[in-house]
Amino acid sequence: MRNLIIFLRRYFNFFLFLLLEVICFVFVFRTNNHQRAVYLNSANGVSGKIYTKYNDVQYYFHLKATNDSLVTENMRLHNELASSYDIRDTTEVIKFDTLRKYSNDTARKVLSTEVRKFLYREAKVINNSVNQEINTITIRRGSKDGVRPNMGVIGPNGVVGVVRSVSENYAVVISLLYKSRGTGNSSNFGVSARLRNSGETGTVGWDGMNASYVQMKDIPRSAKLHKGDTVVTSGYSAVFPEDLPVGYIDTFYVSDKSSTAYTIRLKLATNFYNLQYVYVIENLLRDEQTRLEDSTRNLLK
Amino acid sequence: MSVLLKNIIRFILLILFQVLVLDRILIHQLVNPSLYMLFVLLLPFNLPRPALQLLGFLLGLSLDMFTDTMGIHAAACVFIAYLRPFILNILSPQGGFEGTQRTPSVTSMGTSQFAIYVSVLVLLHHIVYFCLSVFSFSDPLYLLMKILLSTATSLFLILIYELLFFSRK
Repeated sequence: MRNLIIFLRRYFNFFLFLLLEVICFVFVFRTNNHQRAVYLNSANGVSGKIYTKYNDVQYYFHLKATNDSLVTENMRLHNELASSYDIRDTTEVIKFDTLRKYSNDTARKVLSTEVRKFLYREAKVINNSVNQEINTITIRRGSKDGVRPNMGVIGPNGVVGVVRSVSENYAVVISLLYKSRGTGNSSNFGVSARLRNSGETGTVGWDGMNASYVQMKDIPRSAKLHKGDTVVTSGYSAVFPEDLPVGYIDTFYVSDKSSTAYTIRLKLATNFYNLQYVYVIENLLRDEQTRLEDSTRNLLK
Repeated sequence: MSVLLKNIIRFILLILFQVLVLDRILIHQLVNPSLYMLFVLLLPFNLPRPALQLLGFLLGLSLDMFTDTMGIHAAACVFIAYLRPFILNILSPQGGFEGTQRTPSVTSMGTSQFAIYVSVLVLLHHIVYFCLSVFSFSDPLYLLMKILLSTATSLFLILIYELLFFSRK
């Protein structure tokens, strides 16, 4: 016993070192592998406040670009309003509402009733990174505003990422710029995407090299690809609605001769360098969809 | 100014500088400069080793809070805080460094000694940090380039820091 104590005292520094490193590693692996709410990140009070202050200053320098993108987006939304809807009156309070389509003749019969599926909330970006392996965006909307983990996030031009953890006033979003760990298909963050023209679906992931480009995999060689084609979200994942732009085809190649699939380099639709406002998408029918899918999966086991 | 006060101010300023300035500069995907670990490097000689490691841990965690890289900076900082006394031991002349100054600096250690001391620890820090954050050896060249280029940039920043805050006492 005495020898043990002497031994421990002698190597106290080394054991302290081991202990601290183990704590660090536990943090690394616990917080990076699970989609759980963590409190010691930029969604917490101190760092959130400092980032907000910093952003207040920085925001002025981007006003022009932000205005331009908002105006463009407004124009696009106006177009959609005029062409496809009769009435559109949604405030943040109304969660479920319906859209009735009427026939055009004098009887004005109700043809169909559509239930609202996606609810959008705007959010200010207060911190953003593009040069890390796992890039995160902190936004000034939290659980008080109804943001919850696993909601989709889009920018004015296209897909941005998925909400990962939420505190009362802030939320941290994992952006599309998430370098997959390990090789091949075991990527832990990918967006299901589709070629707009031909409809083939694949997965979009990032290789960690350039924040303007992402890679799309699993497109069969039978697909006809052209430079500049649009790639949109597939709508399979219950996170993003269909047909949101992800990127535009830049180059495509077959990784090796035996491969049956193209690897496509996409120019991102979203410019991650000057992100100022994003929209958080809540899928109101998501619980129902995942419940059904999970129960089916359990049946098949 | 007392050593304690000086170090507290340095701690806060280095973290703010790292978070608000350096992390926002985009030079290249392979170049992520960092300066904050200078805090660990410039702690006084006579600080007990457990305190050194705990301070490194605290520094790393505070930075991790800002960058959402939970534990990665902390692991790297604890690592260099643990190895610091060994490096200093190897570099110190017989009987230790002269007692007039109690912190590592160009004047107390000599230019070449100090340069070796800083570059070895910064390199070690970057190796641990990038191995943990990239977390795959499938592309060793990418990892190696990232470590080397970032180390070079960080050393350049430390050089500028030393030139700015050089004191001859």
